[in-house]
Amino acid sequence: MIKQTLGTLALSAMALQSFATTDIEWWHAMGGALGETVNTMAEEFNASQTDYRITPVFKGSYEETMTAGISAFRAGEAPHIIQIFDAGAATIINAKGAAVPVQTVMEKAGYDFDINDYISGVRYFYADANDTMVGMPFNASTPVLYYNKALLAEAGVEPPATWEEFETVASKLKANGHAALSQSHTPWIFFENFHSRHNLQLTDADNGFSGLPTKLMYNNKDLSMHLSKVKEWKDKGFYNYYGSAWGDNQTPFEKQEVAMWLGSSGSFGGLKQAADFDFGTTYLPYWKSVNENAGSTFIGGAALFAMNGHTDEEYKAVAAFFHYLTLPETQYFWHEQTGYVPITEAAYELAKEDGYYIANPDAEVGVKQLSLASGEWTKGYRMGFYVQTRETIYREMDRLMAGETTVKKALQAIVKDGNDNLKRFARTVK
Amino acid sequence: MLLKRVHFSGSPIPYIFIVPQLLIIAVFFFWPACQAVYLSFMLEDPWGLSSTFVWFENYQVLFSSAEYLSTTLFTLVYCALVVFFSLGLALLLAVKANSVIHGQSAYRLLLTWVYAVAPAVAGITAYFLFNRHIGVLFQWITQTGWAFAPETNAFDASVMLVLVSVWKQVPVNFVFFLAGLQGISKSLREAAQLDCASGFRRFWTITFPLLAPTAFFLMVINITYAFFDTFGLIDTLTQGRPGGATTTMVYKVFQDGFLGADLGLSSAQSVVLMVLVLLLTVFQFLFVERRVHY
Amino acid sequence: MQRASVFDHLILWAGVIFLLFPVWMLFASSTHSVENIVRDGLQFLPGGNGFEAYKTALTSASGFTDTATGLRMMMNSLIMGLGFAIGKIVISMCAAYALVYFRLPFATFWFWLIFSTLLLPLEVRIVPSYEVVSQLGLLNSYTGLILPLIASATATFYFQQFYKTVPDELLEAAQLDNANAWRFFKDILVPLSRTMMAAMFIIMFVVGWNQYLWPLMMTTEESYYTIVMGIKNILSVVREGRVPQYNVAFAMVMLAMLPPVAVVVFFQRWFIQGLVESEK
Repeated sequence: MIKQTLGTLALSAMALQSFATTDIEWWHAMGGALGETVNTMAEEFNASQTDYRITPVFKGSYEETMTAGISAFRAGEAPHIIQIFDAGAATIINAKGAAVPVQTVMEKAGYDFDINDYISGVRYFYADANDTMVGMPFNASTPVLYYNKALLAEAGVEPPATWEEFETVASKLKANGHAALSQSHTPWIFFENFHSRHNLQLTDADNGFSGLPTKLMYNNKDLSMHLSKVKEWKDKGFYNYYGSAWGDNQTPFEKQEVAMWLGSSGSFGGLKQAADFDFGTTYLPYWKSVNENAGSTFIGGAALFAMNGHTDEEYKAVAAFFHYLTLPETQYFWHEQTGYVPITEAAYELAKEDGYYIANPDAEVGVKQLSLASGEWTKGYRMGFYVQTRETIYREMDRLMAGETTVKKALQAIVKDGNDNLKRFARTVK
Repeated sequence: MLLKRVHFSGSPIPYIFIVPQLLIIAVFFFWPACQAVYLSFMLEDPWGLSSTFVWFENYQVLFSSAEYLSTTLFTLVYCALVVFFSLGLALLLAVKANSVIHGQSAYRLLLTWVYAVAPAVAGITAYFLFNRHIGVLFQWITQTGWAFAPETNAFDASVMLVLVSVWKQVPVNFVFFLAGLQGISKSLREAAQLDCASGFRRFWTITFPLLAPTAFFLMVINITYAFFDTFGLIDTLTQGRPGGATTTMVYKVFQDGFLGADLGLSSAQSVVLMVLVLLLTVFQFLFVERRVHY
Repeated sequence: MQRASVFDHLILWAGVIFLLFPVWMLFASSTHSVENIVRDGLQFLPGGNGFEAYKTALTSASGFTDTATGLRMMMNSLIMGLGFAIGKIVISMCAAYALVYFRLPFATFWFWLIFSTLLLPLEVRIVPSYEVVSQLGLLNSYTGLILPLIASATATFYFQQFYKTVPDELLEAAQLDNANAWRFFKDILVPLSRTMMAAMFIIMFVVGWNQYLWPLMMTTEESYYTIVMGIKNILSVVREGRVPQYNVAFAMVMLAMLPPVAVVVFFQRWFIQGLVESEK
């Protein structure tokens, strides 16, 4: 009843000011608890001023959100803001005229914009060849290792920093009757971030930053070694593979069926709600034998893009909302609620000053990992039709774990499909 | 085509009646369908900002892709299994329902209501029943010693998908078989009863041949179902996984065009499906339509 | 004879249970608490929560605008089912009338034009269909939701078959009475088709209500969400590894299937007739 009355009040208030309000729409892929946080932020933005009104619309998974945006754009019905995930970055950044760079939007609306305000790990991931920021990193996460403190203590082991250590840790856990590891999102963690962590090149044309790449470099000896090891771990019972859905691999960790889980730093908030045991967070393990000075990882998650074809007034609204989103307080709130990293230095400082990391040291792991030494190949990647290539990776990983294919054949298949996709995409860009 | 001996005359009237239908199919069917054919010859960027005419390249890519071949194979096998089991089960139930004297209409009710469940709803229902953590069917299956893992095992996932698809389709087949059985005249059945003492033999020599046209026609219906109507079911249950092993041709159109943003390739697949349906329709007209004129 | 009959009933019962079991499990579980379900899995017997989950499913909204409650989504599904069924019946009856009762130039051509729509289901032409609908400015509207689905000839075919069986004498008599084409249609043909219309209505309502991909693509405003597409949100919660409100999720699934199932159960006779006729 009260809610209804409030609703009516809000509606009439809206009606009163509607002559001056610019409405903008934001399509996003944040479901569940994340979606609620998104809604809270949008409500706060709407309440903070009277000129603009944003409506967030949940459009399903990342893939579905992107497709919905593409169809709408083709039909001239594009939303003002769309959330596009890492794998879709090439699709939107390479298309001249699909998105208006966030930098342009901000500067035109009279806001100061300095790319160096953003923390180094996220700065260039959604930037174009001239280092102009095109998409505003929004939910930036990075892969981290979560571990069940009690199970590890029981086996008398520390969380592994390297994959070499992992092998001993896993055998001790196994002796104690526990599978060591499960992992969500193979393409992101075992392919893309495997390369950034070890500073390995992904494609020609500087990972796609200096041109349109046509050669995927996944068929290399290091990844091949890693995947052979993973398969070996699976056969030994160190590693459990629950299929390609994110949740199917996360749930066993929550149910304490596996002692460690490779997931996203952005999973922190949800995990805290779901797990009724004490867990810790640490860096993504690396192979000492591949790179002793393993460094920074890529961000995952998604960015917000201002889509082309709207009025100046609407872009002003978009800029105002982006400005609100990058405020240290907003970022800190988002970081705290979800576990996604704060994207600006100022927000990171605010969280530190507030003593957030003293109470929650785990929450800082993601940011710190992104601030590790960056190498030549850790800036990001731009691969055309990469969404399909990821599908191929999922598919081949399913087959590899089921024993239907070998590492060699799987990598060959991935590189073949990946190259076809890259070449096909390169021809569509004009 | 003269359908009636007597007709109305006057020229504007029939157009008024037929125009709404023609208009709707022109705008919402032919225009998009032509668009699909057109796009199948183009290579477009996802946003529709640039496009190149590439002749038959999309078809070449398609037919040389091992994935498309295995998707086609899966679709055929899946379709055959669904048709076989849903027809077989429905026939058994219809024969039994036809032979009971008491409670026939109650059985009919209890065996047909599933028709109204949306494929997507059937899929999500099954998703929960086969769920590793709460699913009762999952528990039963694993208790038999079968390490059931539909998320990672292609065979298990296919079994699950076929089972649910059959579940959803049995009612339609049941209705038709029962109608067919009831259409077989009483005198014929009584004569048969005198001729063949064994009920089993009676079924195969008398009843089954008379039902054959129904079965034949149902086959077409079921093929269409397995090809197209199972989309929602697959999207909620397996999403074509694991390893692409439960991807049907229609689901792949959706994956490539919709999720992968490769419209040209996806449109080429639509055209392939169009041709398949055309063949199916011709087949239906040649072999099945004769039955309709009873 | 007696023994065989018991055996027959056993088989039929097995069939009934096979069909009923999954839905019963979800229903029984929907009356349990989330904790129960998480701990013990799906339940055979109804629990102590009664219809609480249904209340939540019907009244609580998931999105930003607070409009997409279960009730609202069911209303939208209802509009879609009704709109589709009525629209399709009216349009097909008219078209079939023109095809059967008039000497139409190029009649064969029109006939084939209409029936070729059976070739290509919406799923396959969905992206171009979306573009057409949006060019017409019909996104987020009931018209846009319904019209593209009507563009198929199943019902036209069926009414055409039916009109062919109507005795010619009726038309001759009507012409003697000086009835015009419209009056013949309205006063004679439509009343004659009543049962057929009802039968067709049941089938079409179910088809309309059950649409999944099209509303998913078409609607961006929460106030237009339908319940069948609404269940997709449940899945995205589970797939991303969060524990959903299981009981509410099950209640949503039950609510999504209840109206079409009820229609089929209550109007069983028309349903059977509609099914047999429409698929022919």
